[in-house]
Amino acid sequence: MTVALFRRPAVLTVEADDAFVTLEGVTKVFGHGKRAMTALENVSLEMARGEFVCVLGASGCGKSTLLSLIAGLDKVTSGTIEIADGRPAVMFQEPALLPWLTVRRNVELPMRIHNLETDQRNQTVNRLLSMVGLIDFADHRPHQLSGGMRQRSALARALAQESELLLMDEPFAALDALTRDQLHDDLNRIWQETGKTIIFVTHNVREAVRLGDRVVLMTPRPGRIAQIWDVDIVRPRELDSFEVSGLAHEITQRLRAGAASDGAE
Amino acid sequence: MERNRLQRILRAAWPRVVAIGILLGIWQLLVVAGVQSPGGASLPGPGDAIGEIGFLVHTDVLVPALFQTLERAAIGYVLALALGTLIGLAVVRVPVLRAGVGSLLAGLQSLPSVVWVPIATLFLAIGGQVENAVYFVVIMGAFPSIAMGLMSSYDNIPPLTFSLARSMGARGPRYYRHFIFSATLPGYVAGMKQAWAFSWRSLMAAELIIGSTASSGLGQILDNGRSLDDLPEMFAAVLTILVVGIAVNDLVFAPMERGLLRRRGLIPA
Repeated sequence: MTVALFRRPAVLTVEADDAFVTLEGVTKVFGHGKRAMTALENVSLEMARGEFVCVLGASGCGKSTLLSLIAGLDKVTSGTIEIADGRPAVMFQEPALLPWLTVRRNVELPMRIHNLETDQRNQTVNRLLSMVGLIDFADHRPHQLSGGMRQRSALARALAQESELLLMDEPFAALDALTRDQLHDDLNRIWQETGKTIIFVTHNVREAVRLGDRVVLMTPRPGRIAQIWDVDIVRPRELDSFEVSGLAHEITQRLRAGAASDGAE
Repeated sequence: MERNRLQRILRAAWPRVVAIGILLGIWQLLVVAGVQSPGGASLPGPGDAIGEIGFLVHTDVLVPALFQTLERAAIGYVLALALGTLIGLAVVRVPVLRAGVGSLLAGLQSLPSVVWVPIATLFLAIGGQVENAVYFVVIMGAFPSIAMGLMSSYDNIPPLTFSLARSMGARGPRYYRHFIFSATLPGYVAGMKQAWAFSWRSLMAAELIIGSTASSGLGQILDNGRSLDDLPEMFAAVLTILVVGIAVNDLVFAPMERGLLRRRGLIPA
């Protein structure tokens, strides 16, 4: 088993029967025969309801593949993925807003697809737009917004899906540092207000430490879990606080040690 | 407000006015240079052609012919739009149709639709009923652009849009309505615009060749001019055909496309 819980007694260790998301021996192979490439090997992980888990790794470690498997956008080669209820909402690295719709219409899209009443839709959209600070931009179109605002819209849209589980695939990677810092604060607040379960994929160590209850480090070729840290730093955290920097440093050291010593076993 | 509007129209119009002026200037130069047909007929000038248009309007020839032709164009275009849309949707939905029909459509698009005239005349213009033959030629000219427009814009939908639709659980009619139709709209409209150009050409070819048996449209005025060696009439017809082609494009299709692209931020506001 490649999962190692260490550092402190795990605060959020999950009892098997109330796990919200359960990955069991998840393996994903792309291609066949000689050209087969193992993207993920035997990944097992349990998440509690309301937990914020950051999956961290260099590019090519299979973290995005893992996310699209959980999202149901791709199928596992072997192993199982169980989600206690519902279809997860997904937020991508690009905002993926539909350019022909206003911000409001983009945000209400999941509700239109699932046929909600107009009254209920408007109420929810207004609430979500206020939550992400875009209520004054409701009638703008995506091309009139800044990069940060587009990702806020995408976040509101993901929340509009009213799913308990939110999957985020490097959503802030393309933003400048200041905007990203602001969105970290907002995401932290929104997570605390809504009690969503979040799986957040990133290659940014500090981002992972700043946001997560746990940080899951993955190593590439084949992608597997190298180590898991529990982050019990008081929220809201600051990117350059002593605690965040300290743990980020430790994780970075482990990351540098790299694939050679695939320790923790 | 009114003044701004006027200024805007003038600003948009002057490049066109200059271009038309240059064209008429060259034309007039050729007339002054004394260009003649081998038969000895001299080239009529722009003034002669415009005068002839006035005469044809006055004698109640041009306007009925124009309406007759526009009616044919409208009916043929709508039929082509329907057929092109159906085939485009089928090709998009059924991957097996893709390879075969895709290249066939590209071939049909490059095939000058005038080649259908003899066949259409033989099979469809029975007992002087030429309308069906005319429509057939127009449809064959225009529908591939519609289907191709739909197909290529479907191919250009970003993969992320499909992932998004799937992650939201969009299926069936809602999937088409919220994602596919809207995403393919710019390409579809570009196809509609191109199809107009093709259908207008095809219609002129059909009217000209199927000829005098057809109740008269613009093509018959041109044909009539040819048989009477009436050069001003021929030029009047060509000028009218050109102006209609430009007008429909500039007043219908170009604004439609521009509005669509502007709303999506694909061209500056």
